[in-house]
Amino acid sequence: MRRALTLIVLACVTVPSTAADATERGVVIRNGDIKVQPFLDAAPAGNVAANDAVTIVDRKGGWVQVQAAGKTGWIRTLNIRLAATDGAVAHQTSVASAASMLRTGSSGKTVTTGVKGLGEEDLRNASVNLAELDKLGTLAVDPGEATADAQKKGLKESQIDYLAKGGKK
Amino acid sequence: MRWARIACALVALCMIAPSPARAQFIDLGDLVGKAKNAHGALHTIGEDEEIRIGGGLAGLILGAAPLVNNPAEQRYVNEVGRWLALHSERPALPWKFGVIDSSDVNAFSAPGGYVLISQGLFDRLRNESELAAVLGHEISHVVRKHQIKALQKSMGNALLGDVGRTATGGQGGLTGTLTSGLINSGRTMFMRGLDKEDEFEADRMGVVIAARSGYSPYGLVGVLQTLSAAPTTGAFALMFATHPPATDRIERLGSAMGTRLDGLTGVVDDLPSFVALRNPPPPPPPPPAPAKASPARRKRAHS
Repeated sequence: MRRALTLIVLACVTVPSTAADATERGVVIRNGDIKVQPFLDAAPAGNVAANDAVTIVDRKGGWVQVQAAGKTGWIRTLNIRLAATDGAVAHQTSVASAASMLRTGSSGKTVTTGVKGLGEEDLRNASVNLAELDKLGTLAVDPGEATADAQKKGLKESQIDYLAKGGKK
Repeated sequence: MRWARIACALVALCMIAPSPARAQFIDLGDLVGKAKNAHGALHTIGEDEEIRIGGGLAGLILGAAPLVNNPAEQRYVNEVGRWLALHSERPALPWKFGVIDSSDVNAFSAPGGYVLISQGLFDRLRNESELAAVLGHEISHVVRKHQIKALQKSMGNALLGDVGRTATGGQGGLTGTLTSGLINSGRTMFMRGLDKEDEFEADRMGVVIAARSGYSPYGLVGVLQTLSAAPTTGAFALMFATHPPATDRIERLGSAMGTRLDGLTGVVDDLPSFVALRNPPPPPPPPPAPAKASPARRKRAHS
């Protein structure tokens, strides 16, 4: 009986995560080199042409590591367009997906379908929820707590001006 | 036309309903007096008014999707969000961040420092720099008062200010009343979206706020790539209905960024704090079967 229950739970957890573990695929936007490392002045690892299909292996800053026609190298993220998906999440793991499916709302009600829409109709029918608003207030952290957390993570601050439209500063 | 709008506003003000949580009374006479002056000179919406207005609008989103019951995740998003906000031009606002219980992909912000991200969007982020990008984008809307601008356009500046002053404040920025006029204008704003130029500006600002805070400025490009590959229906429908096409956003952001932010050193893409939430440990294995294992099985287990 327990085994049967376990199987049912596992089935509920795993079936809906359709795209779990799928690899991201993309298309090259413009002709250019791929590099052996994610730097502009790194040595070339080969060439790619516009519309070449690539498989994305890794991401690092403004670069993605791709495999294309037997070559592996790094290309700027902005030079890649992701291939369309069916709406499922290519990089989402089955475990994370399962956790999302089973997460419970603040109402305490167990989510079994994993689908909780938030569309126009939901907004049209919504009224202000003061209890949740008060709860939101209790979640806030003060600047000192946020700074301590950032220091613990080793985040490094920089002074950077905002970008102008089209790159004009 | 303007008087017709004022008359409608007066009707709306008279329909103010006390909060079920904390009923409070307001001076309707004072309200009416203020509304009568709605055709007067424009005035600036003060920070207190902004926070009260924002509280009502955040409460509306929470009315559609409550907070996720995951204290660790909520704490984490508040720590990241507040750190980012400290690198904006409005660090002293009472910033509040929350993950809302919806599998749809979206994020919202409201005047005065309210930022909400859906669980559906959170689950689709690759790393902490992408979360920083989303929060940085929403923080930018608040910093530039994009929502106030949209509400002023639909409600009229003076009337919006009156509503903001009249709504009674409290821990959540609102504990008493708000006019149905404000709520309906906010509802429309969330359903129709902000000015498209404001979205592009929030993209440009968001990457800089993330980078100032120590995150890779390319997190937003990753998020926009995810969106560009997604269908415009289903879980993405409202987000796409209220934002410019993701490919357009990538193109404009890429043009603004160029390689200007590529020289930053020490910025991070991901951190264990995000990994722990994105990839929770697997569920514990089922308890061992009560029956004794056969000798053959025992043998295999020790081989």
